[in-house]
Amino acid sequence: MKKNKKLILPLVSMLVMSILLSACGGGDNASSGDNGSSGSGKVTISFMHWRGEDVEALNKSIDAFEKENPNIHVEMQTLPSDQYQSTVQSKISDGSVGDVFASFPGAQFEAFTKAGLFTDLSGSSFLSAYNPKLIEAGQHDGKQYAIPYQLVYNDPIYNVKLFEKYGLTPPTDWEGFLALCQKLKDNGIIPIAFAGADIGPGQFMNTMVMNNAPSDDIFTKVEAGEAKLTDEFWVKTLTQIKELNDKGYFQQDALGTKDPAAGALFIQEKAAMLASGSYQLAQNKQQNPNLEQKLLAPITVSADQAKYEGVHTTTFMLAVNSKSKHPEEAKKFIEFLSNPEVASEYANQTGQNVTVNDVKYDTPELQVAGEWASKKTVFQPRFTILNGDNQKAVTNSIQAVLSGTSPEEAAQQAQAIIDQHIGK
Amino acid sequence: MKNRIQLSLFLLPGLLLYVALFVFPTLTGLFYSFTDWDGVSPSYAFVGLDNYKDSLSSIVFRKAFGNNVEFMLTVVIAQTFISLVLALLLVRNTKTRIVLRALYFLPAILSSVSVGLIWAFMYDPSIGLINYGLNEAGMSSMARNWIGDPKIAIYSIAAVQVWAHAGQMMIVFIAGLQGIPAELYEAARMDGGSKWQVFRTVTWPLLAPSATIVVAYTTIQSFKAFDLIFTMTDGGPNYATEILTTYIYHTAFGSYSFGLASAGSMIFLVLLALLTLLQFKALRADRVSY
Repeated sequence: MKKNKKLILPLVSMLVMSILLSACGGGDNASSGDNGSSGSGKVTISFMHWRGEDVEALNKSIDAFEKENPNIHVEMQTLPSDQYQSTVQSKISDGSVGDVFASFPGAQFEAFTKAGLFTDLSGSSFLSAYNPKLIEAGQHDGKQYAIPYQLVYNDPIYNVKLFEKYGLTPPTDWEGFLALCQKLKDNGIIPIAFAGADIGPGQFMNTMVMNNAPSDDIFTKVEAGEAKLTDEFWVKTLTQIKELNDKGYFQQDALGTKDPAAGALFIQEKAAMLASGSYQLAQNKQQNPNLEQKLLAPITVSADQAKYEGVHTTTFMLAVNSKSKHPEEAKKFIEFLSNPEVASEYANQTGQNVTVNDVKYDTPELQVAGEWASKKTVFQPRFTILNGDNQKAVTNSIQAVLSGTSPEEAAQQAQAIIDQHIGK
Repeated sequence: MKNRIQLSLFLLPGLLLYVALFVFPTLTGLFYSFTDWDGVSPSYAFVGLDNYKDSLSSIVFRKAFGNNVEFMLTVVIAQTFISLVLALLLVRNTKTRIVLRALYFLPAILSSVSVGLIWAFMYDPSIGLINYGLNEAGMSSMARNWIGDPKIAIYSIAAVQVWAHAGQMMIVFIAGLQGIPAELYEAARMDGGSKWQVFRTVTWPLLAPSATIVVAYTTIQSFKAFDLIFTMTDGGPNYATEILTTYIYHTAFGSYSFGLASAGSMIFLVLLALLTLLQFKALRADRVSY
């Protein structure tokens, strides 16, 4: 009897522990069955991403895919983007979910590559459906590990009617840009709505730096210790951003303004430009159907020195999990999404431009961004900074100058943080 | 013996939860703090105490620690004072006391993420309610760039933290005040004590246990703040509101430096434990019994 009593404690512990662990492991995978072949020979693949807003459009694509491939069932799981950033690796690392998954470019893509989470898609026939230049962000050591599906132009948006009203056209040099801002200000219009508290610095730095450092690897050099933020290119960029702020070309107290508030100033036509990107065009139009919008990049140098006309980012990078039990079915799904007709439907329903060739855009907003395909754009410089802390140091130096620190000092402070990371 | 086994069985679920949700993750974190694990790769290397050295010498970590202390001191002082004043006002038997108590307590039941988002909107310099209200009331000179000015951003968030939790602490003080025997007040008044003397010699000493709870709870709560700062400023502008928890989050999930973030968490845990210990020791010495 005494022996039995001694057994109670470990037995109950085991029982409770197993309940706890099974509860922890269940989570969002509970409804996905065994994520493999069922008795009927039907294969279930899991598709994991962060774009909850695209679920409706993607469900239509999935329905069409399942009709075409009756033996494959796609189960879609989405997580909010900040959670996706922090938890997706633990979910997909054993291959039980995320046969097809999405990755952000930059730091996450690098970490996933290092961890061997990607299947090499090099040589897949469906790659020919994409603009080769626009899927480079998914390459590493010459291998295509992921396919960036969405295309964003990180150039400020401008109000066409307001520009026409004051006889303005997108300038081709820095002096022209300053004159344009002054004209708007003189007429009581905020020249640039700037979300300095969150997305503003990270978005605006791209077009501001693209010609001050006309190279696509300047920040790679900074992270390698071969260039410094105290070099002319970054101090000049900070000086010019400070100039815009000091001259009152951003709205007052721009450093305390968040994305929705800056967006509201543009949507209400109080501001003529919005320092964000093409991803916001559709949303702006939805809130103010009278808006006529185009993209414009400030040229920070003289017209003859300008190498780039704007900035692009390719993101929502689709990949096949290297631990997937059904890699062929997963590739088949990506192949389906690569079809121009499917991609057109996705683009027009979600209001996002895509990297697939021959896509037909229905709305003026998508066409506006589409026009930029022929322009000379550089991949978003901020995303070439692979360490998140370094990225933050760079964007924070913009916030520092907006709060009164001199460009030289702000650059020095940011470089000191980067130096610490390089030293590790 | 039978009783002890029964008692152990009752304690077991709690103990298991504690082990599974606190002890196990802490030990795992301790293990990873000696590695260079990026949080994704299946492999990692042991780096000894490097992560601890890097954390302690990091410019951002030091700045975050300074902000943490500033935030904590502001919240502890303001929240203790305001909740005590509220409790002294609302312990009286007035008709409106229940409504007012409920009103002051209300923010405590709101999710801190919602509170952060709403207040960030209210603090907006161009379309926020606070500056709008000040301008309309003819107090434009008081309008500020509340969370955009690095000099005041941390205090603006501290004010929201106090607003959200002062009502909760008020309840603790009210409970303490209601436990003070009425005879002591009568005796003090009969001895001719002024209101301030009565408060200083009767109320405050006997409120020491409540004050211990309020100060200790507020210290811990404000030292390990995260949600409000994450939603309102995400540590900005230019690290002005970066605190240790946001630093740890950014290091782990922004830079994929899980080992370094784990070392930061361990240092944070030790700091928090020391702080709690000091609090209890200091405040227990003040206790008075009649």
